[in-house]
Amino acid sequence: MSTLLEVRDLHVEVAGEEILHGVDLTIPEGEVHALFGPNGSGKTSLMMTIMGFSGYEITQGAVLFDGKDITDLDVTERARLGIGVAQQRPPTITGVQLHQVLDYAVDNGLCPREHLQELLAQARLDDFLTRDINGGLSGGEIRRSEILQLMVTQPRFAMMDEPDSGVDVEAMKLVGQMLNELFSLETSHPAKRRTGLIITHTGQILNYIQADKGHVMMRGELACSGNPRLIFDTACTSGYEICVQCINGVEV
Amino acid sequence: MKKTRSAIDNQTTNTETDLIPLNQVDETDAAALAEVGVIVDARQRSGTYIQRDHKPLCIMAQNEGLELLPIAQALEMYPWVRENYYWNLVSPNQDEITQHCAAQKVPQGFFIRVKKGVKIDKPCQASLYMAHTNITQAIHNIIILEEGAELHLITGCVSQHQVHTGLHYAVSEHYIGKHATLTSTMIHSWGPEVIVRPHAGTSVEEGGTFVNNYVSLRPAGDILSRPTTWLNGKGASAKYFTVILGSKGSEITTGGDVYLNAEGTSAEIAHRGVCTGGHLNQEGLLIGNAPCRAHVDCAGMLVDPGVDGYIESIPGLRATHPDARMSHEASIGKIAPEEVEYLQSRGIEEREAISMIIRGFLDADIEGLGPELDARIAEIAELAGHGE
Repeated sequence: MSTLLEVRDLHVEVAGEEILHGVDLTIPEGEVHALFGPNGSGKTSLMMTIMGFSGYEITQGAVLFDGKDITDLDVTERARLGIGVAQQRPPTITGVQLHQVLDYAVDNGLCPREHLQELLAQARLDDFLTRDINGGLSGGEIRRSEILQLMVTQPRFAMMDEPDSGVDVEAMKLVGQMLNELFSLETSHPAKRRTGLIITHTGQILNYIQADKGHVMMRGELACSGNPRLIFDTACTSGYEICVQCINGVEV
Repeated sequence: MKKTRSAIDNQTTNTETDLIPLNQVDETDAAALAEVGVIVDARQRSGTYIQRDHKPLCIMAQNEGLELLPIAQALEMYPWVRENYYWNLVSPNQDEITQHCAAQKVPQGFFIRVKKGVKIDKPCQASLYMAHTNITQAIHNIIILEEGAELHLITGCVSQHQVHTGLHYAVSEHYIGKHATLTSTMIHSWGPEVIVRPHAGTSVEEGGTFVNNYVSLRPAGDILSRPTTWLNGKGASAKYFTVILGSKGSEITTGGDVYLNAEGTSAEIAHRGVCTGGHLNQEGLLIGNAPCRAHVDCAGMLVDPGVDGYIESIPGLRATHPDARMSHEASIGKIAPEEVEYLQSRGIEEREAISMIIRGFLDADIEGLGPELDARIAEIAELAGHGE
């Protein structure tokens, strides 16, 4: 498989403080990787930097997508290349309604209108179309809204920040089904999956998505990579500090 | 079209030879008028009054029960207009603007009357149009809605794009009868150094409704507008909705005083301002003199206001009756970068994302704006999104 995302020696500052200290990460096309790590270790910062959000200043290193250096591209340009993100705490935008974003995708040929209706029904978000984006939504509703937007915009590379956070058991089933569909095998030849990077704390999402590889981020560095199940189970029983003593010895 | 001929036939001698049918308005003028919602398709309007610089250009009224005349002609035809309505709500000695208007030998402007019980389904349109630079328009309009009448009046005030300077003075007196409804949508689009001074007074009788929408598109250099409304009849209501775009060099003040003088009256003032420079002052004073309900809401958004741009919001309440329930709110903010980037992450261009957010801000919580106003708000959002 060819490499779709490559992060090289990435150093990132937020408000003048270095948060990422030389991250290297490679994700081949068709693979889904899980990103673990304690709070404040830099997982979200890595995701936001890959998407190109301001406030995450790259001081050294580069981000390559499909072989192209995208370090200097803005968010729109990255989105149009095929990078998408489902944020954990997306902003509420007063007066801008969910249907406007979905309509934009339909109008630009990213999703047929009929398919949008099916996805809306599946996500049970019909009633939220004319509400402000993310306004007054529960944790589960935000996850569904974010994933729905990715299903409609169809990015080649989809990133998820804690899709299982703040979601009750019942709602988790629905979120899991949506993610499973988003990362399902495409009926192309040869068959391949959508490429992805998923941040998870609880690991619940691993019950729904087969992750190909796991990484642990500690204090702004990728400290360990390997079998995602093994990493997560070890982190749960022993904690991340023990986990990153490289239980499986697989290099990043 | 019978009314059209009648109106034309009865023109005063100084204007009658200049009048043309609506479909013969030339392309340049038509384009300028369209910018402020005044269209040359008579089928979509119940009546039209267009004044070009100082003279009426087109006058027509197509509905029985709708009367539309130049104010000078109305004063000649109906002595009761002068006796009961002319300078009755606005004092000719209020300031130098009203004094200037009162001193006109032949008053300019229009007279509209909707007769008792007549509900006009299509909007009536009026335009005060400045085609030449550095002129002074001094206008006096009177609008009377008799008991149970209904009218939507679109007033588009515009200068041609090459007109940079000029003076637009306007006195408007609105009389809304019992259970009558006047929706007044005023759309302004002026040159950068045009000075605009509208003076409006409105009285509303029992059960009457006054909805006043004011939108300023191209940012004029200097606008001062403080209309006053008196809700004198039981259950009368007023709504003001103002959308202003200010840019570098603008000096804009929009207010709106409403006197709630009778039991069960209600008033709502909503100001929305976007500042890309210049000074934008939002005012609004509600005076509760009876058991009533009233709310004033000023909201401003700063979009790249430059070094000296600002928005100042001063919503005001004055209650003289213990059963007056009144409230106000004001907020000023900027566009949050994370909101813009969130939309960008869905593939939307930065400018388009900013326009979407501004538009959302401008019409948030305002229902039933109608297609005319909706289109103008979209234009403002587009302009502001492009930093104009």
